[in-house]
Amino acid sequence: MARIGITTTVPVEIILAAGHTPVDLNNIFITSPDAGRMVETAEEAGYPRNICGWIKGLYAVVVNKELNAGFGGIDKVIAVTQGDCSNTHALMETYELAGVETIPFAYPFDRDYDLLKLQMEKLMDVLGTDWAAVNAVKKQLDKLRLQVAEIDRLTWQANTVNGFNNHLYQVSCSDFNSDAGVFAQDVDRFLTVAGNACEYAEELRLGYIGVPPIFTDLYPYLETMGARVVFNEVQRQFAMPFATADLVEQYRLYTYPYGVFGRIKDIEAEIERRNLDGIIHYVQSFCFRQIEDMILRQKLAVPILTIEGDNPGRLDARTRLRLDSFLEMLR
Amino acid sequence: MRCGIDLGSRSVKVVVMAADTQQLAAATVYETATFYREYGHRTDRGLAVDFAALGLPAVAQLTATGYGRNTINIVGATVIPELKAHMLGAIAQTGLTDFTLLDLGGQDSKVIKVRNSRMVDFQTNDKCAASTGRYLENMATVLGIGLAELADYSEQPVELSATCAIFGESELIGRIVEGFSVAELAAGVNYTIYKRIKPMLNALKSDIIVFTGGVALGGAIQQFITREMGLEVVVPAHPQLNGAIGCAVYK
Repeated sequence: MARIGITTTVPVEIILAAGHTPVDLNNIFITSPDAGRMVETAEEAGYPRNICGWIKGLYAVVVNKELNAGFGGIDKVIAVTQGDCSNTHALMETYELAGVETIPFAYPFDRDYDLLKLQMEKLMDVLGTDWAAVNAVKKQLDKLRLQVAEIDRLTWQANTVNGFNNHLYQVSCSDFNSDAGVFAQDVDRFLTVAGNACEYAEELRLGYIGVPPIFTDLYPYLETMGARVVFNEVQRQFAMPFATADLVEQYRLYTYPYGVFGRIKDIEAEIERRNLDGIIHYVQSFCFRQIEDMILRQKLAVPILTIEGDNPGRLDARTRLRLDSFLEMLR
Repeated sequence: MRCGIDLGSRSVKVVVMAADTQQLAAATVYETATFYREYGHRTDRGLAVDFAALGLPAVAQLTATGYGRNTINIVGATVIPELKAHMLGAIAQTGLTDFTLLDLGGQDSKVIKVRNSRMVDFQTNDKCAASTGRYLENMATVLGIGLAELADYSEQPVELSATCAIFGESELIGRIVEGFSVAELAAGVNYTIYKRIKPMLNALKSDIIVFTGGVALGGAIQQFITREMGLEVVVPAHPQLNGAIGCAVYK
């Protein structure tokens, strides 16, 4: 059994079916009290200053023994080389330079069913599993995914879950916190509490689109300002609330790794369904997805605030100023 | 009387205004660090300002804006978001209700689209101040001329990339060595500002641009916008006091 690091959401069913433990490197990085130190470590190793902070964190989490001993280390990494982040190519290469085994995985840009199936089957071969085992795991995870979708419903419809918990439970579905059994118990407990919680009364209903924030206090800050995030776009995609029996189809319906226009359709539907007043588009400094901001602004019919984050930490004064002004504008 | 305070990064603007006529009774611009050193002190409740020492008329209402709503909290003042203060100031000064506000201050650039006296969209600069007053100050020092003189040149601008308010200095020195005139160099400096704000103005365009902030005291940027984008530029009577006036008229 190996501990397999992932750089973004990949077909986790395959890792679990092969008897390995998935570890989402992003989650380890951002929840670590040493997150800032990880970015510095990568820069000391030679990573350029003007490269995404997430990439630097992902590098340090795996390569820096002192930092990764605390969570049990990583044996090998599945790196998504197409459909997520263009910097992952070089990240993989620096992993290899440091002696870390990497397995590439590519989402086909045009959502081609056969190509995606081929990628999945190659991953199954490398990890040592087959469709029967993978589909059995899928059935179990589907139940868990449904429960996480219920947390999402409680967020926007029953209004009993706050924006941060919505983000947390959905984003955790990339690796099910490395232990699907424990995560399922946690979800059960949370659903019981959330089902009986008081309704939130914030007047402004916001959507959050783009990659998960590198800021640690965005959700609570918005709540102190009388607004609540009731839609987390990419996190919800990570959780995959799509009912389909076919695993390849499930990862085709997943919008995030393909073109922006598929994401826009999904966002538009949720703006309507969740009755959103405005959208916060988070962009990571130096990320190619910053370019997509202009497409999102042109295509979406609600007010959009674009905020940018660089290194892990709390919201800076400039970003707070923008958030304040945006909420003021929506009122 | 109402008092409005705009705590900017480079200067603090204080105005006192008659509530009914909106006539300015007093207006002063202080250097920011000096203002905090000489007239302010920290208390548990926030920053206390010594109004007696400022020598201002008695005021019934105090409204302030500044660097992020939660960063500076003036004791006894209603604090309003900065972009709102600037929009209110522009409306009060021009009487317009539909326009795009361009505010270029000491470190901040703001573009705010206003429709029916409401902010409908905005953009601000981030992590770079190379289109602001501070940048102009640095460049004026390199050229050995005053800020006011620098900000008026707009003819035959020298090409400069100005990727940074500091690296801009060495680039400018390189151009001096090449033998360009001060007028062309100064126009080039002003043109870098125009190039940086043009995409923001384009994205949030109106037929009328209200131009405020300390940088609006010079004529060059206004010239470029009018000449190249064909938009009408209105510079109100007190561009640098706009945020403070916005505070003073806030109800």
